[in-house]
Amino acid sequence: MKNSYVYTVVFMLVVSAVFTLLLAGANSFYKPKIEENELLAERTAILYVFDIDQSGSAAEVLKRFDDNIKDTELSGISLYEYSEQGETIAYAVPFTGAGLWGSISGYLGVSPELDEITGLVFTSHSETPGLGGRIDELEYKEQYRGLVIDAGSKLAYGEDGGGQIDAITGATSTSNAVLKILNELLDETISRLEVA
Amino acid sequence: MAETIKEVISRNVWKENQGLRQILGICSSLAVTNLMTNSMVMGLGLTFVTAFSSLTISLLRNAIPHRIRMIVQTLIIASYVILVDIFLQANFTDISKALGPYVGLIITNCIIMGRAEAFAQKNTPVLSMLDGLFAGVGYTIVLLIIAFFRELLGFGTLFGFDVNFIGFETWTIMVMAPAAFFLIGTLIWITSNIFAPGKSKK
Repeated sequence: MKNSYVYTVVFMLVVSAVFTLLLAGANSFYKPKIEENELLAERTAILYVFDIDQSGSAAEVLKRFDDNIKDTELSGISLYEYSEQGETIAYAVPFTGAGLWGSISGYLGVSPELDEITGLVFTSHSETPGLGGRIDELEYKEQYRGLVIDAGSKLAYGEDGGGQIDAITGATSTSNAVLKILNELLDETISRLEVA
Repeated sequence: MAETIKEVISRNVWKENQGLRQILGICSSLAVTNLMTNSMVMGLGLTFVTAFSSLTISLLRNAIPHRIRMIVQTLIIASYVILVDIFLQANFTDISKALGPYVGLIITNCIIMGRAEAFAQKNTPVLSMLDGLFAGVGYTIVLLIIAFFRELLGFGTLFGFDVNFIGFETWTIMVMAPAAFFLIGTLIWITSNIFAPGKSKK
């Protein structure tokens, strides 16, 4: 009986149904929490780009985001705008590009005159932890804060770029990939923004 | 002749350690062992999955048709792995991000399937669960030993705490996968000498 076709098929169907139900239950139970985590991570990253305080509870962070930042569109590019009393302080432009192992995504903050970087943040990447993965560390990201950009010239590490930003030792490929993404973003997207 | 609990423990943690004596689960031992925290979470995840899939498979062992037993085992293992993945995503976002695809890849870790096929199919539920549990513990210990050396020499930290008091110049190679090869090789060499000295010569 146990080896009959009918038993085998029925057994498989029952087992599949039970486990699928179990997973569907767990998924719908945790889904709101996972989405909330993702939203919080995204918003914290954008606050970082604008150099706004990111500390406090989830509710405080989300409130601070809503008070200062709005989702908008400029010259056909969707981005985030940070403004105070109707005056724009900075824009955060999303980017995605090829890293060493996978794609790197994040936001680059620029001043409304497009002449200064306010901050750089990565929201997802798959670089080697401890090497390329160090682009996520403050030591690397903070270098970009307040960096002056002029139209036409490219960002470069070390002396070529005026000694303002440095690559990560042992992670040359990732460092160069980041620079390439940023230069393309500045060149092709940010320069197109029609700012008042 | 069923094994006693004590025998199950000593066999899984030491005599037939999955990583060092059976050479199973090597892929993840290379991938996640550059930080002790990641290794710990990976080990706990695998231990949980192995214990519960062994328990489930053992409970169902008399009902599972022999012909499709492996498909059923994979289904059960995959379900527990997805549970772990969802749980980590919801409650430990940072670790879930750091481990990336490796949590999902627990499914393909041969240790779990090995325990299911070699033990849980033939033994009682409680003993099978313990077998899975201690196979996982043995694996976790190996991961932590490797991670200890890699994190200490590669970052100068342990579980993220800075222990590099003497200004030691950290070794980048320790952070990358080759270092795990060297360490696993060394550990296998040591354990092989303990269990089967001189055997390879004959």
